[in-house]
Amino acid sequence: MKFDLSLVLAALPRVSDAALVNLRIAILALCLALLGGTALTVLRSLKIPSVNRVIAVLLSFIRGTPILIQIFLVYYGLPAATGLRLAPEVAGIAAIAINSSFFISEIMRGSLPEIEGGQIEASTALGLPPSVIWRKVILPQLFRKISPMLINEGTVVVKGTALLSVITVVEALRVSQQIGAAKFRPFEPIVAAALMFLTINLALMALGWALERRFAREIR
Amino acid sequence: MIPPALRATNLTRSFGQTRALDEVYFEIPKGEVVSLVGPSGCGKSTLLRTLLWLDPPDEGFVEVGGQYLGRERIGAVVRNQTRRQIDRIRPRIGMVYQSLNLWPHLTARENVERPQRVVASKSAAQARATADGLFERLQIGGLAGRRPSELSGGQKQRVAIARALAMEPEIMLFDEPTSALDPELVGEVLALLRDFAATGMTMMVVTHELAFARDVASRLMFMDRGRIVADGPPARVISDRSNPRVAEFFDRVTAFHPAFRAEPIPKETTP
Amino acid sequence: MALDLSVITDNIPLFLEGAWMTLRIAAAAFVAGMAIGTLAAVASLSGIAPLRWLVAGYIAIMRGIPFIVLLFLIHYGLPAAGIRNPALVNGIAALSLFAGAYYTEIIRACVRALPKGQWESARAIGMSPFAAARIVIVPQILAPMVPPVVNCTMTMIKESSVISSITVAELTFSGLVVQGNTFAPFEVFIAVALLYWLICGLFATAARAFESRLAGTRRNRGLTPLVGRYLILEGRRT
Repeated sequence: MKFDLSLVLAALPRVSDAALVNLRIAILALCLALLGGTALTVLRSLKIPSVNRVIAVLLSFIRGTPILIQIFLVYYGLPAATGLRLAPEVAGIAAIAINSSFFISEIMRGSLPEIEGGQIEASTALGLPPSVIWRKVILPQLFRKISPMLINEGTVVVKGTALLSVITVVEALRVSQQIGAAKFRPFEPIVAAALMFLTINLALMALGWALERRFAREIR
Repeated sequence: MIPPALRATNLTRSFGQTRALDEVYFEIPKGEVVSLVGPSGCGKSTLLRTLLWLDPPDEGFVEVGGQYLGRERIGAVVRNQTRRQIDRIRPRIGMVYQSLNLWPHLTARENVERPQRVVASKSAAQARATADGLFERLQIGGLAGRRPSELSGGQKQRVAIARALAMEPEIMLFDEPTSALDPELVGEVLALLRDFAATGMTMMVVTHELAFARDVASRLMFMDRGRIVADGPPARVISDRSNPRVAEFFDRVTAFHPAFRAEPIPKETTP
Repeated sequence: MALDLSVITDNIPLFLEGAWMTLRIAAAAFVAGMAIGTLAAVASLSGIAPLRWLVAGYIAIMRGIPFIVLLFLIHYGLPAAGIRNPALVNGIAALSLFAGAYYTEIIRACVRALPKGQWESARAIGMSPFAAARIVIVPQILAPMVPPVVNCTMTMIKESSVISSITVAELTFSGLVVQGNTFAPFEVFIAVALLYWLICGLFATAARAFESRLAGTRRNRGLTPLVGRYLILEGRRT
């Protein structure tokens, strides 16, 4: 059998429509993860021993287990354990957002010492309440600093959305599989899906490089 | 006829518009000590890299002890050598880098022994004997088991010299051997080079130490903008006023080295 | 609800078989991925522009597409090209290609972090490229390579769960089988997750021990922070 480019092109319109679902899921999950990651970072900075121990265990669990299993746990395990049944897309967004929250929190924590310095003390001495210090002083600098790494995290999230095909979310990969099954030619539609993911992520990476170059210039 | 230890023929190398090497010719007979002097950026570093064929020239030839390195000419046919041919001839040039480039994960002894074993295929006993002899001669006999990080700057340099000498090269190249050292060690290194010269070692030394260039070297080559613009006995090159670039360089440098001030030359030689 | 532990205890052999298969897949992909990574890093550092572009393209594709898509590309693409492998072989091939891209970046970054003079002095004294790599380069990059390699290998072990989707009987597949028989997804996937956690934890501990032994004998820890500057990609920073 020969590779048939026309089959790739024929699949592209439907697959690219479905890729918008991936994009939507990724953006939602990433926004939630930014909120979650920030909350986790602030929570950890409070240095409450019992809370930080729990977070450390959760972090180790999230880092040490496949995201696919985490998706299964939310989609299949959660209803069985609690009776709370989520739609596939909602379950997928939740799983990816939780996973990414912990990674983003790690990124933030890694860069925090570089900017914090005496700023908290200085701001406290000025009589600013901690919430204002975080909102106005620390977080703006922190997000700027970690933005290239956040973009990398964005590509990880985009790639994670492909896994939702396994829990029946109709996104680019699943649509390409459906087309492949209907035409008995599974390969070419998958190529179309691969191109979609590649396009999204290369665009993201280009943005990351541009940001890094700009920051490198500003530091000099 | 004994072939020269090193011969450069028409070495030319351009980077874009600038010519780093511009038709460089010279010959260094066995036993001669040459110092290579010139303003920074004049092409000295490129020349050393080119002589080792680390940075192949666009044109020209290098011969070591009568053997071509990198590119050869047989009759009218010019061809590039294979990688293996180059690897075989390269150890005949001993190079002591400005940054020394010792291998930090190996001990001083291993730095000297490993190349002998893998390049010259010497036995372990032979390599060890050579290394021990050189360490003894360079007065670092007790330090053979140390890693470079555990040695002082001067000791490291001696290890780097031993590493190069162990390959029994035709000629030793030194790239600014005094520049990375503490001032009080400079005299020590110059004394070492003087000893080498006394034993008849062929050397080319890139240096800013005009005392060395004048007192130890028997010949001075002055490089400027990729060309060898003056070449001859040190005293003559230094006092020659005919090339303004050379004269300007030595005027500026000798201002800081009163001991080195050249004898004033008779007025009638300058127009 | 109460946890039904019998779901787990009754199926221990199945889980262990799956875990064993996951370990074997990861080991195979590690070896093959390292081979790919070494070759690609050498090609990229060779100074031959087309080779460098080829490697850059390979890395961009591996970074840009999800592993599950890569897996399907290989699993459906090879038969389309007339190459019929067992699913296990296709799975290992995909995982090796995936890990190989990360290993390429790591090896390349570690080599670039070495001063250029290290390589040049070895070549100038007459060592062949192979001898220079073996005697001068490789011993110096091993210790700084360990932390990022551990990171990427853990990512790779986790990604291997996706291979269950082409019916390879590894750990996640065991979980899906047991879940299909028992309808107790929560217990099953917690058990599977704990096994992955255990594998990753044991691997990280072993790697740390190996690293401290290397660092103890080599004493070149100073290089490790430098490597980060040359590592454009290291999976997820952890």
